[in-house]
Amino acid sequence: MALLEGHGLTRRFGGVTALDAVSFTVEEGTIVGLIGPNGAGKTTLFNLVAGALKPGAGRILFEGQDITGRPANELCRRGIARTFQVTRPFAAMTCLENVGVALVNGPAPQDRALWRQTAPRYLEMVGMGGLADTPAGSLNVIQKKRLEIARSLATRPKLLMLDEVLGGLNSQEILQAVDFIRKLRDEHRLTVFWIEHVMGAIMSAAEKVIVLDQGRHLMEGTPEEVVKDSRVIQAYLGE
Amino acid sequence: MTDKRFYQVLVPAVVLFSFLPFGLGSYHLHVVIVSLFYLMMASSWNLLAGYTGQVSFAHAAFAGIGAYASGILAVRFGLNPWIGVVVGTLMAALLGLAVGVLCLRMGGIYLSLTTLGFSEILRIIITNEYEVTRGTMGLQVPGLFAEYSKVGYFYVMLGAAVLTLIIIYRLIHSNIGLNFRAVQNDERAAASLGVDVVRVRVLAFTVSSALAGMAGGLYGHYLLLITPEIPSLDQQFLVLSMTVIGGMGSFPGPIIGAFSLEILSEYIRAYGEYHVLVFGLIALVAARFAPNGLMGLATGRLMRRRAPEKTVAAAAKS
Repeated sequence: MALLEGHGLTRRFGGVTALDAVSFTVEEGTIVGLIGPNGAGKTTLFNLVAGALKPGAGRILFEGQDITGRPANELCRRGIARTFQVTRPFAAMTCLENVGVALVNGPAPQDRALWRQTAPRYLEMVGMGGLADTPAGSLNVIQKKRLEIARSLATRPKLLMLDEVLGGLNSQEILQAVDFIRKLRDEHRLTVFWIEHVMGAIMSAAEKVIVLDQGRHLMEGTPEEVVKDSRVIQAYLGE
Repeated sequence: MTDKRFYQVLVPAVVLFSFLPFGLGSYHLHVVIVSLFYLMMASSWNLLAGYTGQVSFAHAAFAGIGAYASGILAVRFGLNPWIGVVVGTLMAALLGLAVGVLCLRMGGIYLSLTTLGFSEILRIIITNEYEVTRGTMGLQVPGLFAEYSKVGYFYVMLGAAVLTLIIIYRLIHSNIGLNFRAVQNDERAAASLGVDVVRVRVLAFTVSSALAGMAGGLYGHYLLLITPEIPSLDQQFLVLSMTVIGGMGSFPGPIIGAFSLEILSEYIRAYGEYHVLVFGLIALVAARFAPNGLMGLATGRLMRRRAPEKTVAAAAKS
């Protein structure tokens, strides 16, 4: 069953068409990769789904319900969580408080005593248990990305949207990260929608890959189909 | 700071303050009463500007609304000033809610401009509605007590200041306060984690306006003469300087700022208009050398002393 569906999504910025009538589906319980060259419209698509931007045209369905143009905070409560490509930590707040914000506003809001107990669990999940009292602003880029994942998980989402979380990792760490995300999906019965430039990771983790190019839906298929597709190769390498 | 430590500091401070009337003369007691008014103003403005990042220029205006609402009700309808202050507080809260709903979607510089406009409009209304407000002549209002008692006013203002501080402290250390800070740090991230950004802002604006209204109402009945000076922009900038110099976004900052600037202004009063210049210079120096105010200076020292061990410990754990 499709957890998330987009129908004819279009979004323009001034004269630039960032997304042009893109339709797609993300099936429940799967990991779906979203790839494409720079400027293909991947992050714009995420912004539309997560409510950070409103589409110019088209509809978005989540669990079969129309969520087009709903505000981000409502979508969070419905079960859509996202990380940001350029991380957005609450810099002056501790890591624990960063996670706390998600816990007190999520679908099952927790009171102060409870979230202070629960929050460390989410930091431990991403290997940051020792940094609970560190201000998020003083983390390095990789830690900030992990913190965003912890925060997203703390909203107890059904759909987790990851925007380039592997940047800056070495190959060994990428393998671990892919394992981690697979495990998350299995243990928390998540659906993962994942933008990534690290091809190897997407190809090994995703069951389906959607390719965007210059705002258009270029193709979709299994990782094997995608890497062999001449249109995809052309989009990445040029004529 | 934990709740326990907050009360451990607050209770002795209040007890100490309670003895002030026995040691201070009438003039010095007056300075303390005025300082307590500014403490309420600066702390409640800090709740808005320091904790949610909304720089409003209408805070003095809301104090004016509290003062004039209570004053006019007392003069025209003979309403008991105590009830008047409560009504004034509610009026300020309601108007704060209205202004909030109207302009808080904008945020940033637009909010500042709108509140600046609101403040000017209020001043023009007060100056021109002479029949009701007595314009720049000022409105003579009855006091809170049948018999004038400076000591009595001192305890009332002290009580109100303590109430204000407790409300603000509890708010910023609750889940609501967590949302305030999240919104200030990064609105988009906050929204993506389920925070209703507009609601959080409107709430902060309403509470902060109500607290200013209460402070203004009490202050008016202390001065016995309400003039457009209370809701003036001069007053607004004084409150702003106190918060910034004391330390915006920290709880003790505005308290320290209010007392030090009010006491300082008494000393440099002799220089007339030049005291504005002096405040301007202090604010400039503070902005350059202590961007987090006096509190920032104090905690900065502490942090640097504690920092090395802490980072090492954190690094070792991770």
